[in-house]
Amino acid sequence: MRIMRSFATALLAVGLAGTSGMAGEPTKFDSLSLEFFEKEVRPLLTAKCLGCHGPQKQKGGLRLDSRTSALAGGDSGPAIIPGKPGESRLVDAINYGETVQMPPKSKLPASEVATLTKWVAMNAPWPDDGPTKSVETGPASAAWKKRTEHWSLEPLRKTDDPKVLNTAWPKGFIDRFLLNGLEANGLKPAPDTDRRSWLRRVTFDLIGLPPRPEEVETFVADRSADAFETVVERLLASPQYGERWGRHWLDLVRYSETSGHEFDYEIPDAWRYRDYVTRAFNADLPFDQFVTEHLAGDLLPNPRRNADGTNESILGTGFFFLVEGTHSPVDVREEEASRIDNQIDVFGKAFLGMTLACARCHDHKFDAITTKDYYSLSGYLKSSRHQHAFLDAPERIGGKATELEAIKTEIAAKLGPSNVEPKTVKDDGSIVFEDFNKLTYEGWFVTGEAFGSGPSRQGDFHIVDGTKIEPIPPGQAHTGRTSNRLQGTLRSRLFTIDHPFIHYLADGSGGRINLVIDGFEKIRSPIYGGLVLDVNTSRSAAKWETMDVSMWRGHRAYIELADGGTVDYTGGVTRYMPGNGYLAVDEIRFSDRSTPPAISETSGSKLLPRQAPSVGPLLAQYAKIESKIPTPTIGLAITDGSAEDDRVHIRGSSRTLGEPAPRRFVEVLGGTKGSTPASGSGRLDLARRVVDPTNPLTSRVLVNRLWKHHFGEGLVRSTDDFGAMGQTPSNPDLLDRLAADFIKGGWSIKRMHRLMVLSHAYQMSSAAEPEADRVDPTNRLVHRMNVRRLEAEAIRDAMLAVSGRLDLTLFGPSVPTHLTPFMEGRGRPSQSGPLDGNGRRSLYLNVRRNFLSPFLLAFDFPTPASCMGRRNVSNVPAQALTLLNDPFVLERSKLWASRTIASKATRDERLDSLYRTAFGRAPTDRERQDASTFLGAESPGQEVQAWTDLCHVLMNTKEFIFIP
Amino acid sequence: MHCQRFIGPPQSRREMLLNCANGFGAVALSALLGDQVRASSDPMTPRPPHFKAKATSVIFLFMDGGPSQVDTFDPKPRLDREHGQPIKMKTPATQFNNVGNVLKSPWAFKNRGKSGIPVSDLFPHVAECVDDLAIIRSMVSNFSEHTAANYFMHTGSGLQGRPSGGSWVTYGLGSESRNLPGFVVLNSGLIPPGGADCFTNGFLPASYQGSVFSAGNTPVANIRPVGNQKAMLGLLRSLDRETLERVGHNDAMESAIANYELAGRMQSAVPDLVEISGESKATRELYGLDDTYPQTQLYGRQCLTARRLVERGVRFVEVLCPNVGADRWDQHGGLKKGHEDNARATDKPVAGLLKDLKSRGLLDSTLVVWGGEFGRTPMAQGSDGRDHNPFGFTMWMAGGGIKGGTIHGATDDYGYYAVENKVQVHDLHATMLHLLGLDHKRLTHRFSGRDMRLTDVHGELIRPILA
Repeated sequence: MRIMRSFATALLAVGLAGTSGMAGEPTKFDSLSLEFFEKEVRPLLTAKCLGCHGPQKQKGGLRLDSRTSALAGGDSGPAIIPGKPGESRLVDAINYGETVQMPPKSKLPASEVATLTKWVAMNAPWPDDGPTKSVETGPASAAWKKRTEHWSLEPLRKTDDPKVLNTAWPKGFIDRFLLNGLEANGLKPAPDTDRRSWLRRVTFDLIGLPPRPEEVETFVADRSADAFETVVERLLASPQYGERWGRHWLDLVRYSETSGHEFDYEIPDAWRYRDYVTRAFNADLPFDQFVTEHLAGDLLPNPRRNADGTNESILGTGFFFLVEGTHSPVDVREEEASRIDNQIDVFGKAFLGMTLACARCHDHKFDAITTKDYYSLSGYLKSSRHQHAFLDAPERIGGKATELEAIKTEIAAKLGPSNVEPKTVKDDGSIVFEDFNKLTYEGWFVTGEAFGSGPSRQGDFHIVDGTKIEPIPPGQAHTGRTSNRLQGTLRSRLFTIDHPFIHYLADGSGGRINLVIDGFEKIRSPIYGGLVLDVNTSRSAAKWETMDVSMWRGHRAYIELADGGTVDYTGGVTRYMPGNGYLAVDEIRFSDRSTPPAISETSGSKLLPRQAPSVGPLLAQYAKIESKIPTPTIGLAITDGSAEDDRVHIRGSSRTLGEPAPRRFVEVLGGTKGSTPASGSGRLDLARRVVDPTNPLTSRVLVNRLWKHHFGEGLVRSTDDFGAMGQTPSNPDLLDRLAADFIKGGWSIKRMHRLMVLSHAYQMSSAAEPEADRVDPTNRLVHRMNVRRLEAEAIRDAMLAVSGRLDLTLFGPSVPTHLTPFMEGRGRPSQSGPLDGNGRRSLYLNVRRNFLSPFLLAFDFPTPASCMGRRNVSNVPAQALTLLNDPFVLERSKLWASRTIASKATRDERLDSLYRTAFGRAPTDRERQDASTFLGAESPGQEVQAWTDLCHVLMNTKEFIFIP
Repeated sequence: MHCQRFIGPPQSRREMLLNCANGFGAVALSALLGDQVRASSDPMTPRPPHFKAKATSVIFLFMDGGPSQVDTFDPKPRLDREHGQPIKMKTPATQFNNVGNVLKSPWAFKNRGKSGIPVSDLFPHVAECVDDLAIIRSMVSNFSEHTAANYFMHTGSGLQGRPSGGSWVTYGLGSESRNLPGFVVLNSGLIPPGGADCFTNGFLPASYQGSVFSAGNTPVANIRPVGNQKAMLGLLRSLDRETLERVGHNDAMESAIANYELAGRMQSAVPDLVEISGESKATRELYGLDDTYPQTQLYGRQCLTARRLVERGVRFVEVLCPNVGADRWDQHGGLKKGHEDNARATDKPVAGLLKDLKSRGLLDSTLVVWGGEFGRTPMAQGSDGRDHNPFGFTMWMAGGGIKGGTIHGATDDYGYYAVENKVQVHDLHATMLHLLGLDHKRLTHRFSGRDMRLTDVHGELIRPILA
């Protein structure tokens, strides 16, 4: 903290009446100084300070109604240092210093500032006022202990299957637990629904699409004992299952493909994370593995790989970076803190059902989460970095690199000796951060193949355009050593910027040097333009490039040297650096001078290698292999950076740092047991703790989410908050039994689906019985099935399906957003996507934070801000207007009508087809009649329009969007 | 600081009513249980305020980009004295970090009205209304960057996805209009950075989302009926009735059926709203509808629409700025032309709106709020621009419950920092809610473990400007 200057010293000269007294020691003051206090100071404190720092409120943890408490101070430290106004926070604050300005509304008049300053200079005289009582609320208190005993933090309880009177009804333990609850309340389960309704329910639930007419008839006719099982197995094996449940998961991680805010930058390759999730659900990846991959997929010794060899596990970590972000934050530390806050918020809610982010500024108000817990978790993220990870199997590109190296060795043998003196940089007092002369990348983080296994050595050369051989001086980080076509990055350790200039002795074409401060990546002007260097000397000798970092003194930063493998934001859009040139960095210096040190004139002399004619064929061979180097596959991921712990941010401010918070898991979940990570970020250890079977939250939260999607409401209705402000489980024994069973069954999600949808409870009708609804008005006891409205995606997908336009292609980049004239603003894509999204499932529509699909939004598609386990189900006129007038719906109606007219001859057949396609049943007589009246005589030329209108009406019916 | 922002747990209608603001929920619910009129299930049903309201509607004239306080309502002679000299104070980091010398205002200030409040020559028409304005010269914001500052000004949080002020107001009070949304945003061409999330319902039920109306004759998507709608709706009613008979009584489905009624009414109410051929010549003149500058016509039309919305009982109207070719009010360079064009487009319409509301007796019950997301620096950016300044800027309020002809707060001699009676954005929100009869501490919504408020844990009334 910067402290007040100048007149404090002047004031010290004012008669210091008080006796000297150090803080904490008993102090006696003479009557004159006490009179000064009573007459001048106390009224001032009472009038201007005690409202917020007194007996009622202690903002910032500070009380100013006794000397003891003023000396003890608040969260940021002592408020006054007796006798030292220049070092006292209170005096700094009333002078509107940098950190705090008090009183917040208006600065005190100069006379009052002088009074308080004088008083501090006088050693802060104050009559003995006895100790101030402090209230115990911290982690040692009894109140806190009670928090740690909250139901969701208790171990899973083992309960025997309860006894039920109606032993015929239950099919398994789910039914017994529910029935037990119903019987205790004098209720009976609702009767079974009919087979068609069950099939429609389970099909939408598991794959998010309506059952096909033939599937309905097959099931209705299947009288075998395992007819229900057959259906469930078919659906779980369908690739559409993963799309449906993957989307549920995406709600939890605020999936978006842009980062919102002013420019709505693309988050490149975000869709690979979406596909990862879909594949994970389809493969029934054990949930503990799924969680581990999310938190530390980059650290697994043996990651899962796809058939094409690409690293699958690492893609899980992409969820961290689906966060919103600004393009030029004025306070970059605050930007980092906000980003980490969102990451912790999503982490806490999605995996643990805990509102951890509530503890950013203060200990959690209701749950057993401390601020220290929060910053202990923050350390994991501070020790990690974002990367655009190279996903390919090592041999795909690395194999080519090895072949090229082999040819280069042959070429080298044919070349005469060469000697290139490294440049000598004159000592100008600047500090060498790195000169690569140790010929190792120790202390650097390498990705990709371009930088090779280490810096260049004597005799190294560079093959340009497959024809020219150019020597490389030793001691350079050089991305062309093996081939210009390779991509990679080299990232430094974290350091504190303590010199105003960074000089890079560099050479290259298309090379990029970024300085990443406080983890901020969207480096561009305004403000950040100076932290980007494009190195384009194009095969001349290395030259100095300079960054002026004077305004970033004190910030934590790392240097990123990149040849591809990173993203450029300078143009207002997101684009990958091309990576087809090279970058060579000889030396990096921190300096107080804006001019780089001189390079010794004698240095850099070269003895060029003699290019023997016999290398020609080798060069040709080299060029041939080089041309086959594929473009790397890149995905969003996290990676370890320099390991470092965070500190507690007092009252959440990145400007007031408190005690260190070593990395560990949440204390109440056993985080203080075990050691802090020895090396690296420690995320793998964190992941293991999250999925440890003794952690009661992970399994409870997940089975509850599954239950919510199958039964309409969770056993715990607040799916993302299992804390004190969340709701309590309606059937705690059932919840625990499911959670235990989930772990016992190897964390298999498909197994849980089977248990749930094959239960008798799932088969219940949703029809309301007034008496039962009176006893159980919110259906907490699950005495019947809940009626559910389809989600936005399912409504749209069903329209595509019934109209015959559904394209079931899996995976890949998203379909561009269809833009209406009503979608305006910065970052609007230059081109609109197709109205029908090419018939693809809604999962594949581009999710742009600032341009979300109005159709999906009308039906409560969530804003991708934070974890969203329970979507809104609203009822707004926009829904009716959309279904009545939106061109997408009109197009679907027309297509559906035309296809039906073409394939069926008679009115009856057509009606039958429409109803079976849309609702899985034949129309009733009344519906036939209604439709016939509506169609009228179908005058010639009006046929298509009449049927289009009818199809349009059917898509507007409640039966189309509600699942009873 | 936030805890727990974002989208809320959805609700059944029953839950929503129970959870609803100011006790309305319980009343409506008991009505429902008694099997009374369905209309009370409409989330826009007007609800009594916490205490007697001074205003029943709000028009927020959002000056996107941040108009300069020292060039509009906060004259600073020191700038004239030290024009071209380095500023003699420590300056904070700014958005573009390109701090030039002190820049005097290119516009003269004159004392206006009975109150003699100075207004610069940028606003000759608004100056005529100065006795109706309470000018707050000591606004502060927490953000120097547009998007976060826009979110903050609209939602009380710098992050994306929190409910907008208009959403909170309609959540608290419902709306008198049965045919139009309760919270309407009139787009005049510039959607502020941050986009639709400035007007989001966030974790509040979706009914309270701001509906953005475009300028022109089709302000809302999907509002023009297509096909043979009358017959279609007839068939739909009949088919839905049959479904309900099969499924039995169900809240959600019945509400969805009722929803078609409101949608139907909107289909006629919206075209009626924008049909202004019945407005008098004097009114057209007042709003500048026939002005030579097209942007004045456009903005005038939207201001007139704002009045028509208020007449129709719409609770909260926000009017966005027109595109004058410059970058909103965001003059990092070319201050003179940029501010002049923006003022030219908005001055007459804003004054016209105030005068028109007054002559119709609507100003007493309508709170008009004017201002941007922050102000601008007293020193130049480059040679002729001003950078963002959240440390001290001006906004004004007029109408229902406001003491006109007042100045509140002050900035320092440069007009850089608010130094007297600082007004936080939360204070502005608290005061706005207060005038509508809502206690900002009681207007809460339980979301993800907390009773959320527009003002978070802050907000104090700006009492000196209350009538």
